[in-house]
Amino acid sequence: MMRSRKVKIVTVYLLTIFFLLFFNFLLPRLLPGDAILAMYSGSEILVTEEMYSELVKLHGLDRPLHEQFITYLIQLAHGDLGYSYIAHASTTDLIMNALPWTLLLVFTSFILSAASGIVLGVESSWRRGGRIDKLLLVFMLLIDGIPSIAIGILFLTIFSLYCGWFPTAGAVTPYSNLVGLAYLWDMLLHLALPLATLTLSQIPGDYLLIRNSMVLTICEPFVLTARAKGLKKYKIKYFHAARNAILPFFTRIGIRLAYVITGVLFIETIFAYPGLGLLTYEAISNRDLPLMQGILTVSVLLVLLINILIDLLYKKIDPRVEYAY
Amino acid sequence: MHIRSLHQFKKNRIGMTGLAILSFLLITAVFAPVLAPHNPWDYSFNCFQSPSKEHLLGTNDIGYDIFSELLWALRTSVLFGISVAAIACTIGILTGVSAALVGGLYDAIIMRIADALLAIPSILILILIAAYFMPSTFVLIITLSLITWQTVARGIRAQTLSLKTKLHIKAARNMGASTFYIMHKHIIPELFPLCAIGFVTKARIAVFMEAGLAFLGIFDPTTKSLGIMMSYAMRYLYLDVWFNWLFPPVISLSMLIISLAFIAYAIEEIFDPRLKVR
Repeated sequence: MMRSRKVKIVTVYLLTIFFLLFFNFLLPRLLPGDAILAMYSGSEILVTEEMYSELVKLHGLDRPLHEQFITYLIQLAHGDLGYSYIAHASTTDLIMNALPWTLLLVFTSFILSAASGIVLGVESSWRRGGRIDKLLLVFMLLIDGIPSIAIGILFLTIFSLYCGWFPTAGAVTPYSNLVGLAYLWDMLLHLALPLATLTLSQIPGDYLLIRNSMVLTICEPFVLTARAKGLKKYKIKYFHAARNAILPFFTRIGIRLAYVITGVLFIETIFAYPGLGLLTYEAISNRDLPLMQGILTVSVLLVLLINILIDLLYKKIDPRVEYAY
Repeated sequence: MHIRSLHQFKKNRIGMTGLAILSFLLITAVFAPVLAPHNPWDYSFNCFQSPSKEHLLGTNDIGYDIFSELLWALRTSVLFGISVAAIACTIGILTGVSAALVGGLYDAIIMRIADALLAIPSILILILIAAYFMPSTFVLIITLSLITWQTVARGIRAQTLSLKTKLHIKAARNMGASTFYIMHKHIIPELFPLCAIGFVTKARIAVFMEAGLAFLGIFDPTTKSLGIMMSYAMRYLYLDVWFNWLFPPVISLSMLIISLAFIAYAIEEIFDPRLKVR
């Protein structure tokens, strides 16, 4: 059975990559009409005769489809995601400059939302049916219902524009030449609102997941045993019950990641935070198709990479998986 | 079905609150053409007016009446949400149930496709498609449905698999009932709560996506949309228009999604009695 599980996982990864290639490689070439004109029309570039033939050569459109595909794969393997004629830069460079900011945002918010979601979920389920639990549940459902765009816009208008406590755009103050602690403080000020928005939009999901799974775990006999042994409350809650209740949280990380990317896209656009999301927005505004394809590739590969990591780590977190298959 | 679902839902305060808000918004959306005091496509030279009796929420940069625009935008959101939810759920239910009943290679293929789609952020696909084809709202609805059915299919398949082993279904099969008959008479009715949750969740995602895509500027610019209103209002924030232009669409969108979140939670609580607050 262990083998069949591995086959399953590998098939999914291969299929994902197939979809990726379909959207990036086949779709533009299957288009009716001219791929080059479709790619560059509507952008601010005037395609001249000379440039047209250069572009055809560059994209290898004068060669048969299977040769084009092999070249595309070779380029991809070399980390070459194409050239953006609109930004006059290599797509890979553009993405690599933006990626660290997005990773900083996503990673920090992930830690913060997971920690608060777990603590709130555990405490809430422990007091199930009580006043705090009911209030917290309604409050969380309420926040869950406010989309990340709305939270972002509200934060921006209230805290940046109205109160003036935080900067309205960017990741650092440009041309300020700050160093050391001053630079760090500046960076944190810029990070604060996007981070708060992304974290707040993720907490309810974590909270509801942990609360539901804790509610079921608490009823299990081993929790009763722990109680009977006279263990301290926080030990029962966090070391006995929560350790088991937390498992679905890990299996969901991979699925949630795709949603987080959506949130990041809007949040970075609203706060003009120079990560992948803002880069996507710029690519949309300029109709920069090579850049869009590059971003799609990098995002999907990141999601896959994290999924693989979780698959590998999950055995450590839940040793039963080893025996179950 | 031993749960009196309707009765239970009526007693569920969270669910009823959600339903009340949703009904209010739905009625507003349906009667938008009657309720709107002005034609929202009628531009005038009275731009950037503050709220008045004539224009309840004032006018925008090209003199559209913001209140009328809001009503029509809500209509777009609701229409988009319902269409995507209906199509995505239909695909999800059909693939999920058939995968569980047929099994074998068919099951494996469907489920692997569903898993693979889960790893691809649907917003990026929509953006790419929108950039290539500049599609109509109809094409966007179909595309979004085609890439979001998988969560419904997974849930439905798991539930069907567990139903399949239940005795009354085995009995029906032994009496010679066809796969179609079993699907139609036994499995689909018993899957109803799961389908209802799926519908509400998909509607929620679709409403959010519509506003989001419009906010990013990839939606038919001639339709009224909450996202388009937000993105234009953001450009004129320095004129202090946030209270009459920016916040109304933001709050409407939030109310719509909050009502859907409440309803989804209530249904989940009713059909999984273990979760209920005792």
